[in-house]
Amino acid sequence: MLRLVAKRLLGTASGDIPSRPLQILPRLYHENVIDHYNNPRNVGSFDKNDPNVGTGLVGAPACGDVMKLQIKIDEESGKIVDACFKTFGCGSAIASSSVATEWVKGKSMDEVLTIKNTEIAKHLSLPPVKLHCSMLAEDAIKAAVKDAEAKRAKTNATLKGADVKSG
Amino acid sequence: MYKMMQLWTPLSTVFRRVLPTTCCLASFTANSQFASLSSHLQSSSRVPLRYGLDFSPYSKISLLSFCSQSAAKLDSTTKRCWNCLAEATGSTPFLYCDSCRSIQPVDLSIDYFKIFGLEKKYEIEVDGLEGKYKDWQKKLHPDLVHSKSEKEREYAAEQSARVIDAYRTLSKPLSRAIYILRLEGVDVDEEQTVSDPELLTEIMEIREAVEEATDSQALNQVQSRMNEKLEETSDSFANAFQRRNLDEAVTCIQKMTYYQRASLCCSCNVIMGSTTLRIEEMITTDV
Repeated sequence: MLRLVAKRLLGTASGDIPSRPLQILPRLYHENVIDHYNNPRNVGSFDKNDPNVGTGLVGAPACGDVMKLQIKIDEESGKIVDACFKTFGCGSAIASSSVATEWVKGKSMDEVLTIKNTEIAKHLSLPPVKLHCSMLAEDAIKAAVKDAEAKRAKTNATLKGADVKSG
Repeated sequence: MYKMMQLWTPLSTVFRRVLPTTCCLASFTANSQFASLSSHLQSSSRVPLRYGLDFSPYSKISLLSFCSQSAAKLDSTTKRCWNCLAEATGSTPFLYCDSCRSIQPVDLSIDYFKIFGLEKKYEIEVDGLEGKYKDWQKKLHPDLVHSKSEKEREYAAEQSARVIDAYRTLSKPLSRAIYILRLEGVDVDEEQTVSDPELLTEIMEIREAVEEATDSQALNQVQSRMNEKLEETSDSFANAFQRRNLDEAVTCIQKMTYYQRASLCCSCNVIMGSTTLRIEEMITTDV
């Protein structure tokens, strides 16, 4: 008897039917967004000057959001081995960039360029008014890849120049 | 209905307290329809327009369907009162007929600057706004027309709401800047991405400083720096707008938005910090 009461109070018993039905309120954040907001993955910074790091810095001035997404490229394979982000903005913007850093890991730079904002928005069930947040994340990925490729091209040019000189 | 009630405090309260300085951007999106419709009206004033009504002044639908009845008259330059047919004097914006004391329907061709009797310039005397605003509300406020016809009560609701929005929009530099560009046909409030590395790096550093600030003194320092930047950029906007360099003007607005946002974050963090301290005090103090 006591255990049953305790279970009810604590709500810890799995598989129990809740005694009161949960009232669904309209316009809640989707649980995926809340998850990314409460447990953000890959928050942080890489060294901007690292030649294998690509930095994408984008902003949405209309709402004052700013998003930084960084990718770490493996020199040999050219694949993205690590990613991190820092976003100042609404929950949807934070979640979008968090999702983006998860999705780019282990992929090649060409592959991540195909990630569309609509996919991110769908994953997070973003309402229409927040679609631009996912767009921002897509732009951040593209900017990071662009930066990484520019750095790679620069490194290759320097190496070639060195070869010519020494050879 | 709730939104309306939020908007219209009783007339007495309006005169007693200072209007809250909430961000005007939110209310302004509703008015984005005004300016485009107003410029449309100016160019096609001979087209008879239907008078549609929706009794929630901030509903976008009502703003779109709301057209000046006076524009339907053959002589579109002279406005006449719907009640007594007296002609508008032309010196003051025709929101109210002084002859018979009836409130007129909203005329979207009267922009916010005209409502306050100001030239359409970015730099205005902000101090003079409050007095004029109160003068208008003494004539237009819905509390004054309880005994009048439903039509006039609706006019009062919409005119009064428009004057409130005009006051809020013109009081703050950023909202005023966005509005004046909107009147020129430039819509700044688009959800576009920018990637100006210099600006974004600066903003990133500021926001990081705000997050990492340990005490309210540090936050206040950042905030005063932001307010300085806001003023500087406001001057740059005035300059760019005067030279009709609209691209530069848009960039200034984008910067101002970022600085204002950062300033707001400072205030929030100060409040949060002091609230945390108060809670800690309460917990540690023996009650």
